Amino acid sequence: MPASIYRFLAATADRLPDKLAIVSAKRSITFAELHREALTTAECLREMGIAPGDRVGICMEKTVDQVLAILGVLYANAVVVPILPRLKNTNIQHIIQNSGMAAMVTDADRVAEVTGFAGLTRLIIGHGEVSNEWPNLPYLRRFVSAKPFFDRIGNDNAAIIYSSGSTGRPKGILIAQRNLAEGAEIVAEYLGTTEQDRIGCMLSFNFDYGMNQIWQTVRLGCTLVLHELALPNDLFSVMSKERITALPVMPVFITKMFDRRLKVNAGAFDFSALRYVCSTGGRLSADMISDLHGAFPKAKVYSMFGLTEAFRGTYLPPDKLASHPTSVGRSIPDCQVMVLDADGEECAPHVVGELVQRGATVTKGYWNDPENTAKTFRSHPRFPGETLVFSGDRVYRDENDFIYFVARADDMIKTKGFRVSPTEVEAEVLRHPDVVDAVAFAVPNITIGEDVGCAYTTVNNLPLPEPVFRQFLKSNLPGHMVPVHLLHFDAFPILGNAGKLDRKAIKAAAWQRLGQAEPATGAAQA
Amino acid sequence: MPSDIDILTDYIRSETGHTGTIGPDDDLLEAGILDSFNIVSLAMFAQERFGVEFEGEDLVRDNLATLSALAALIRARASDAA
Repeated sequence: MPASIYRFLAATADRLPDKLAIVSAKRSITFAELHREALTTAECLREMGIAPGDRVGICMEKTVDQVLAILGVLYANAVVVPILPRLKNTNIQHIIQNSGMAAMVTDADRVAEVTGFAGLTRLIIGHGEVSNEWPNLPYLRRFVSAKPFFDRIGNDNAAIIYSSGSTGRPKGILIAQRNLAEGAEIVAEYLGTTEQDRIGCMLSFNFDYGMNQIWQTVRLGCTLVLHELALPNDLFSVMSKERITALPVMPVFITKMFDRRLKVNAGAFDFSALRYVCSTGGRLSADMISDLHGAFPKAKVYSMFGLTEAFRGTYLPPDKLASHPTSVGRSIPDCQVMVLDADGEECAPHVVGELVQRGATVTKGYWNDPENTAKTFRSHPRFPGETLVFSGDRVYRDENDFIYFVARADDMIKTKGFRVSPTEVEAEVLRHPDVVDAVAFAVPNITIGEDVGCAYTTVNNLPLPEPVFRQFLKSNLPGHMVPVHLLHFDAFPILGNAGKLDRKAIKAAAWQRLGQAEPATGAAQA
Repeated sequence: MPSDIDILTDYIRSETGHTGTIGPDDDLLEAGILDSFNIVSLAMFAQERFGVEFEGEDLVRDNLATLSALAALIRARASDAA
């Protein structure tokens, strides 16, 4: 059977019609209902004029209706473009224009947030109150019938996920139907997810990691329990009450779950059903690992790594976590992660080279961006006719093919599960009338990945009062982008005679002031 | 004298840069005024500012998601201490 999300869910709805597919506090839904309502959603979208291949934005909170919107767009052979709620206007505008968005599905109470953008002509309500102004999917679904449907082929476009780029402009990663289906099969295989599992889903469906939980659920016929992690006690009681067996997280979630400032007694809850915790988006610290093992003694812990350009690349088997704590692991099934030197030859163990990935999860490239696509998605003489992802990231492997990270290709700041572009932070800092120059950078903070730091110079050479400055920044930046460290410099070092800021020296000086040392790698450079 | 709710409102404004109105029964998470990170900071602020101590079971969404619920929790814990 050719793999597609439609075929996965159609088959599961046939096999397990009355089993709960998604459980949430507000609404739960069986596989038969999920399939039928995805079909009627697709029918509504078609009647509204959404054609195969059209890009449809989805800007919604995590609800059953959001899952139906995502599935409905796929069932209409259109392309899902997730938009993180509360994203800054300039980013939303860029995504609308770059994707050539035909319509946006949003929550009724979010309409004000997403109207008024140039090029966005059509708004559709995916969740919430019915009004006369915009078509409402939950309402309209009741009046259309679920028609039989034929999907096209696995190579067709399924989604574009925008990921912050180092230029400050998010890049759209173009994902094929085939990639989604393969991603479900691969992850289910190495994690051993089965029909019996109940996945506790704190992740958002605006990223590939969160969406993969939906794909695994419809493929396997397991149950997905939606939860928003705000406070650990709420999470723990849901996990125990719902008998959660699988818990996909990011490092920042682990930090929050075991926040030392809160009096949380994880021992008071019953986690006997929990089989595994998996994490991606950053390294697991020794504290995180011991917190997880302490609270969930029966659960295996999987540390995973991936580039959005290829969804997932490596995972560390749970029994290797103690012996290889700094490794990102080995290649996932049906993919090969290699370490190549400048000539494209495989590096010997412990020699640093570029991380290059080939296999089923490699996406189609950057949407509407042939130049960057040509740089990252390339062929290799050893694999004729194939496209590989050249990440630019610096890594090495050991004798047993465990991969170790040395340095990322870009200077993106990874904080609280977000990728923050230094350029975007600097643009906002520079809007302050007294700021002359600004350089933003990452400051290591293992509990949340990295903190955002920003060095700045001022017209009168005086530091800005921090509370006022921070307040100014908060009014225009989403919380995760507001610099935690604001450092005033009298002057910035300049590179050569072109007047270019010496960003490396500025970052080094700032790190020194913050008491951070450059990490030593202990590996040779290729 | 500012009420507890005024003090909490001021804190939320300074922490988030939020400038719109905040009703005592507005769901701060659903309205997008707080995210899952700064709701914990709000609880920490309330403990320090009002000299109360929350128990593990106090720290659930229903107690923290609206200003009126949090103010009620602060009052309850303050009377425990008295």
